[in-house]
Amino acid sequence: MSERTGKQLSKEEKDARFEAELLPVLDPLYNFAYRLTLDEDDANDLVQETYLKAYRFFDYFEQGTNAKAWLFRILKNSFINEFRKKSKQPAKVDYSEVEGYYNSEDVEGESGVATTTDMRTESVQDLIGDEVASALNALPVDFRTVIILCDLEGFTYEEMAKILDIPIGTVRSRLHRARNSLKEKLEKYAKSMGYNSNEI
Amino acid sequence: MESKITEVYQNAPVEGKETECEKVSKLLDLVIDGEATSEDQQYFKHHIEDCVSCFESHQKQKLLKGLVCGHLKRVIVPESLALSIKAKIQKTL
Ligand SMILES: [Zn+2]
Repeated sequence: MSERTGKQLSKEEKDARFEAELLPVLDPLYNFAYRLTLDEDDANDLVQETYLKAYRFFDYFEQGTNAKAWLFRILKNSFINEFRKKSKQPAKVDYSEVEGYYNSEDVEGESGVATTTDMRTESVQDLIGDEVASALNALPVDFRTVIILCDLEGFTYEEMAKILDIPIGTVRSRLHRARNSLKEKLEKYAKSMGYNSNEI
Repeated sequence: MESKITEVYQNAPVEGKETECEKVSKLLDLVIDGEATSEDQQYFKHHIEDCVSCFESHQKQKLLKGLVCGHLKRVIVPESLALSIKAKIQKTL
């Protein structure tokens, strides 16, 4: 490895620059991690790991370039490695299934209350939000990812291609298929609520 | 009759407009996501003024995107997270 010459930053300067440029991305990054892992503790770990990696490679980050896309890419790669490890742990999967089962009963109870209240109240907004979340969470992780990156975080196709290491054509087709799946899931919900899908 | 979003989207285009509707349906995501060229945008806009089926597809796709960006709740970052990142970084050489 060659030693980097020229303007070597002091540790304080480097830390200050790191915090100023990369910490503002914490909120979207944590949200992305949460939507991938569907678990707050896992999201926490994943974000910490991402920032530590980013710190180690900070010399390679060009100031003023897209910090958000860079961090999202590191996080996505960490997630893929983590996910492979975790998928070998069936105990955790069983637990989340049980948890989901009880949660869904709770939600049913709440929705019974909500339908008796004014349809324009916040509880209905919450209900729609919950339904969008569970429809999204039910998608395969690759589909969930492109929808989050595009619709929630507003990345361009080109940025998404870089974050995901896939060609733009694949971004487009994946996004298209992901939206079709999400539509199907939300239509079922709309019907169960007695709406026509035109009126969601 | 109940209309189904996916069915409308995949519907056989109106007769005589076959290639146009197909072209427009391929542009749909690009237009929604702001990735279409201004030329394509014009073409799209012009087409949906006359074509009900493509107009509806466009409305539905916009609605779907709006559901995700307008209704999906953001999770709140734990306060301890930024502090613990800073602390770890300070210890890292
Ligand atoms: Zn048409």
